Amino acid sequence: MIYLITIVLNGGNSFKKANIEGFWGFGGNQMIEFKNANKYYGDFHVLKDINLTINKGEVVVIIGPSGSGKSTLLRCINRLETISEGSLTVNGIEVNDKKTDINKLRREIGMVFQHFYLYPHKTVLDNITLAPIKALGQSKEEAKKTAHAYLKKVGIPDKADSFPSQLSGGQQQRVAIARGLAMHPEIMLFDEPTSALDPEMIGEVLDVMKSLAKEGMTMVVVTHEMGFAKEVADRIIFIDKGQILEDADPTEFYVEPKEERAKAFLSRILNH
Amino acid sequence: MLDFTILTENWDMYAEGFKVTLLCSLLALIGSFLLGTILAVFRIAPIKPLNWIGTIYVEFFRNIPLLIIAFTIFVGLPTLGISFDGFQAGTIALIIYTSAFIAEAIRAGILAVHKGQTEAARSSGLTYIETMRYVILPQAIKIVIPPLGNQFINLVKNSSILSVIAAGELMYQADLISLRTYVVFDVYIIVALLYLVITLPLSYGVNYLEKRLAKSN
Ligand SMILES: Nc1ncnc2c1ncn2[C@@H]1O[C@H](COP(=O)(O)OP(=O)(O)OP(=O)(O)O)[C@@H](O)[C@H]1O
Ligand SMILES: [Mg+2]
Repeated sequence: MIYLITIVLNGGNSFKKANIEGFWGFGGNQMIEFKNANKYYGDFHVLKDINLTINKGEVVVIIGPSGSGKSTLLRCINRLETISEGSLTVNGIEVNDKKTDINKLRREIGMVFQHFYLYPHKTVLDNITLAPIKALGQSKEEAKKTAHAYLKKVGIPDKADSFPSQLSGGQQQRVAIARGLAMHPEIMLFDEPTSALDPEMIGEVLDVMKSLAKEGMTMVVVTHEMGFAKEVADRIIFIDKGQILEDADPTEFYVEPKEERAKAFLSRILNH
Repeated sequence: MLDFTILTENWDMYAEGFKVTLLCSLLALIGSFLLGTILAVFRIAPIKPLNWIGTIYVEFFRNIPLLIIAFTIFVGLPTLGISFDGFQAGTIALIIYTSAFIAEAIRAGILAVHKGQTEAARSSGLTYIETMRYVILPQAIKIVIPPLGNQFINLVKNSSILSVIAAGELMYQADLISLRTYVVFDVYIIVALLYLVITLPLSYGVNYLEKRLAKSN
């Protein structure tokens, strides 16, 4: 009975493995949960009745046309934007509750932006250690050690003392990923992480993301990189005009999208 | 040719005026920088009432003459039982007036830092204050230094207006010397040169800082 209610509450999100696990695990598995979430910019209805559950360890790719609300959806998760109605929980904590310590919650959510946003006045090392030192209270030595480890992981161990302006776009984005990881977050959010990169640098960033996905990081990724989605994504969310139109398995989605608008969109991005 | 005997014969008064102008400028510089920074943060802080206070302050004081502020403090406040001498009233007036301009310069500098910087810092869990302190202000300061330098130079020159409330600074002394000696032109040219002694190093200092900071990036 309760299980049926769960399904109904999830907006008829069908009989999914995820929901069963979420239920039997007493909700412990659900990292991010939108329930009937709406967002408006003034009169403009940018997110429409969003119901979306993302479980621990899942890699979810969000795609959709420009202006459809992908970034907005992603940015609500760490409250860079706030939803206007409904509920949004991360790790069981209501994101928009006044009592929620947003800074504490944000430590659990790393974010990588299209344009990197490294701090230009700080070295790569200082970029990575700033938040661990100030927000987590780590000692400088500890933070530096972690930073070096993650720089190695993203493949640029020798760039610790460089300034961002001395790095290529691909290197900058990998530093941004290392900066996010250094906080040991539960979730990583990526907003078109490769869209600002020259084609020859896209691979190196995607490789880092893929290895992260395979290690079990919970990831929400706005990207049109089909290869990435097919290889590591558990689900594809197709969003158009603020609505989630499909929540599908990646291979199925790319072969045979159910929605007309998804078909039209896919043919557009695949034909150029 | 300029008659420098005016300077030597009235050396005491020139020296006194120079000292007072320098002191008044220095105090006002520090005061208006502190007040201006606070007002700038007021204007951009995510707290509405602070925004209003900041905006009202800036729009009011930068759009009225400095002389009226000085008169109000010097002549008006004593009627309420608070009285200052010319120097004190003048310095306070300069702080009040200049801080409005400095607030605007600093605010513009902060806003010129890309908002992605704030988003990156905040999304990593840094607080608003930490973000300002470690990420935004260090970048804003580079942008702000040239306009700030201009404001400081204006401040030194504006201090001359305080002669009308007998602040005892350079311009006031010059008026006295002129009255006493019946010389006009030479007296004021010498004063102009003395202002340059303060403002030129200030100007060069700002240029130097600007270059050094530009290099450090
Ligand atoms: N601060 C804002 N105020 C008003 N409208 C906004 C604001 N931010 C975004 N929008 C609008 O909301 C809609 C969704 O924006 P969003 O950035 O989420 O789209 P997106 O799917 O990420 O698009 P893109 O692929 O171009 O990045 C767009 O129409 C945009 O113009
Ligand atoms: Mg976007």
